[in-house]
Amino acid sequence: MRTVIAYLRRKRWSPYVGGVLVGLTSVAAIGFAHQLLGASGAFENLAGLIEKSISPSLVDNFYFKYIQAPGISWQIYLSIGVIVGAFVSAILSRDFRWRVLPDRQWREVFGSSVLKRWLLVYFSAILLEYGAGIAGGCTSGLAISGGVALAPSAFIFVGAAFMTGTPLALFLYRRKGV
Amino acid sequence: MTAYGYPLIFGFLFGWALQKSGLSHYDKIVNVFRFKDMAVIKFMMSAIATGLVGTYIVIALGWAVLPDVRATYLLGNVVGGLIFGVGMSLAGLCPGTMLAGAGQGSLDYLIPGGLGFLTGAVLFADTYEQVYQHIVTVWNFGNVSLFGWFDLNQWLTIFVFVEFVLLLFYLLEKSGFGRGPSDDLSR
Repeated sequence: MRTVIAYLRRKRWSPYVGGVLVGLTSVAAIGFAHQLLGASGAFENLAGLIEKSISPSLVDNFYFKYIQAPGISWQIYLSIGVIVGAFVSAILSRDFRWRVLPDRQWREVFGSSVLKRWLLVYFSAILLEYGAGIAGGCTSGLAISGGVALAPSAFIFVGAAFMTGTPLALFLYRRKGV
Repeated sequence: MTAYGYPLIFGFLFGWALQKSGLSHYDKIVNVFRFKDMAVIKFMMSAIATGLVGTYIVIALGWAVLPDVRATYLLGNVVGGLIFGVGMSLAGLCPGTMLAGAGQGSLDYLIPGGLGFLTGAVLFADTYEQVYQHIVTVWNFGNVSLFGWFDLNQWLTIFVFVEFVLLLFYLLEKSGFGRGPSDDLSR
């Protein structure tokens, strides 16, 4: 029991253990709820809810009328679960801290401006959500959830993400000793 | 229970696993694109291999029916992936790891990240008819799996796929390739 608790409190697990846990979780989601894991869909539901509360005319478009009505969806509950799970994990391992910048590496490349980081995250997040929408899912919703059924799209998506992500990272990190 | 209990539990496990594996940190994500830290690949391929075997076992036992396989429409999968890669490499996060980062107290994930995802979601919904509906029709193969696409034997394909994943892991561990400094467990 003591070793179990010590393990739960550890700051880092092997990524293999984390991956197997997510694989088993996705099997449970299929088995118990006939659902696939995903993260990008929740933002569509939430964005629709917010827009609707501001003015119903904002959700008067094809997507919210015919594809997915705004609402508290399965994906939103899943996302809340992700936040809580990460929170408990971080609290137990004393990794929880209010942070405005990443712990490592960011400053060496981009400097310590919080504004710069937040603006870059904001614009990147727009690209991430839009790209996930076009592709049919994100790293969890398409790569992992598609991968568990060997959907070709899962592997094509990951390959495409590396085709832009790698040159960009190598360019940003050219001459940086980190 | 099914409306919110299950997704809360599954989400909890997912977020826990992401945080424990360190993927809620910027350096873990950006370093996979630099091939300096392969934790993301180890995590993702372990999840896919485990999920693949488990899913087809529960289906074979008659305990579950497979939900629609994620659709393959080549142009959209590629263009979406290209856009996604830029954002992921620049910010060092993706939708799932952003939520996990928010849970560990990273305000740069929660505030500009959350607002950016919502903005992207609004843009996607507003342009759905003009953009997505066209791109989805190009080279669309529907909800196919590799099994159906190439008419492969299911269990043999699963076996070969898992073998390939295990071989990849063996080679990564043996060579030490991509075992980045941020894999240091004490940090």
